[in-house]
Amino acid sequence: MEELIIFVVLLSVGYFFGVLAEKKHYKDIQKREQETLSLAISSFGAKQPLPQASDAQLFVGEVVIASDYFKTFVMALRNLWGGRVLSYESLLDRGRREALLRVKEQAIAWGATEVLNVRYETSTIGGKKQGGVGAIEIIAYGTAIR
Amino acid sequence: MGFKPKAITEEVNVSKVNPLIDFAYLLGVIISLTLVIYFILGLAVDWVVPQLSPQQDIRIGELLAPAVAPQLGGELIQDDTRQAYLSELLEGLHHPGDFADIPLTLNLVDTELVNAAALAGGQLFVTTAFLEQVESENELAFVLSHELGHLSARDGLKSLGRGIFVLLGSMVLNLGHQGTGPDVIGYALNLNSLNYSRAQEYRADEYGLESVVHHYGHGDNSLDFFRRLAQRKEAFPDGLIRASEYFQTHPLTEKRIEHLQAIAAEQGWPMTGEITPVPSGLACANFDCDENPSDS
Repeated sequence: MEELIIFVVLLSVGYFFGVLAEKKHYKDIQKREQETLSLAISSFGAKQPLPQASDAQLFVGEVVIASDYFKTFVMALRNLWGGRVLSYESLLDRGRREALLRVKEQAIAWGATEVLNVRYETSTIGGKKQGGVGAIEIIAYGTAIR
Repeated sequence: MGFKPKAITEEVNVSKVNPLIDFAYLLGVIISLTLVIYFILGLAVDWVVPQLSPQQDIRIGELLAPAVAPQLGGELIQDDTRQAYLSELLEGLHHPGDFADIPLTLNLVDTELVNAAALAGGQLFVTTAFLEQVESENELAFVLSHELGHLSARDGLKSLGRGIFVLLGSMVLNLGHQGTGPDVIGYALNLNSLNYSRAQEYRADEYGLESVVHHYGHGDNSLDFFRRLAQRKEAFPDGLIRASEYFQTHPLTEKRIEHLQAIAAEQGWPMTGEITPVPSGLACANFDCDENPSDS
């Protein structure tokens, strides 16, 4: 019986703190997206004619976001019969946007006019328990030109 | 083609479903699935166990028997004249025709814990502490024949069978072992298994009372053991160490006593009669109390 209580407490803590962290992060993301809106991003750059530039530099933005107990548990349940893991969607969305923002911010500080050939990479970190991930890491990289 | 910056206004990559609703849905499905499978397995076990042959029953009993004495906190006694007395009592108690192919084995366990248990394949276990506690042969006989009822219905095999299915299932799906993930399956199962055992207990009670009435001609004094324990437990809630072990595994609540009295009334069994005392020295090894004064 104690195990059940501990389990429920962990779930609640995971849920509430997870929701809190998510809201805060999204607010921050939206603010910074507004600020960096002016920088042009494109995903082409290889084997295509590039715009005129005097300088180019690679910028990498990465972020590691941890999953909470609640999300991991729901993921484990989903693992039984499949379907969209709704709890992880926001995790990945935030990660991608945050990583890209970090690239943009670095590029803007450098004085870039455009960032070309933007790519994403994802990997999972930790998560020794089956059916759950400890944290996800997202890297965004692109070549900035000025 | 110029670049027109556009802010993200709609969260297209995140579903609008409330995570709690999603969670409740998943949990609900998994719990109901588990219960359905559990009940189906229960039926499967009920179907499989009666099909086992007496030889298989005996074999399982032999395999499991060595594990019981350590669990009762003591050792098996090899030679004791009390065993012969108890075996003879058992022969007189079981329903005629029962155990024709399965010999009854009465195992005596030397331990401080008061307990009597039935396993499978005719294996019965009785502790020395229990023998020290009984005050009449009637109550001793009722406890023994209650256990015989379990053996006759193969309750031990049935509860083992379902446990085997559950264990196999959880091993295959790799669930409920490491902490996170669906431990909830384990809890859903525990809550239900109690009801199953209570029905079995009722049937064993009826078997027991019928045996006792058949053997002594009446059912008087047969429930004394439990009534005493219940009274003592009320008087000294924390004080019973030796006796509480039996009481916890076989709680004879008021409901069960009432149920038995109702059955007796229905069947026309007399519930008053002369008490049959236990043979003197039952509390001591080999009925010999001179060397080892009992201290119950």
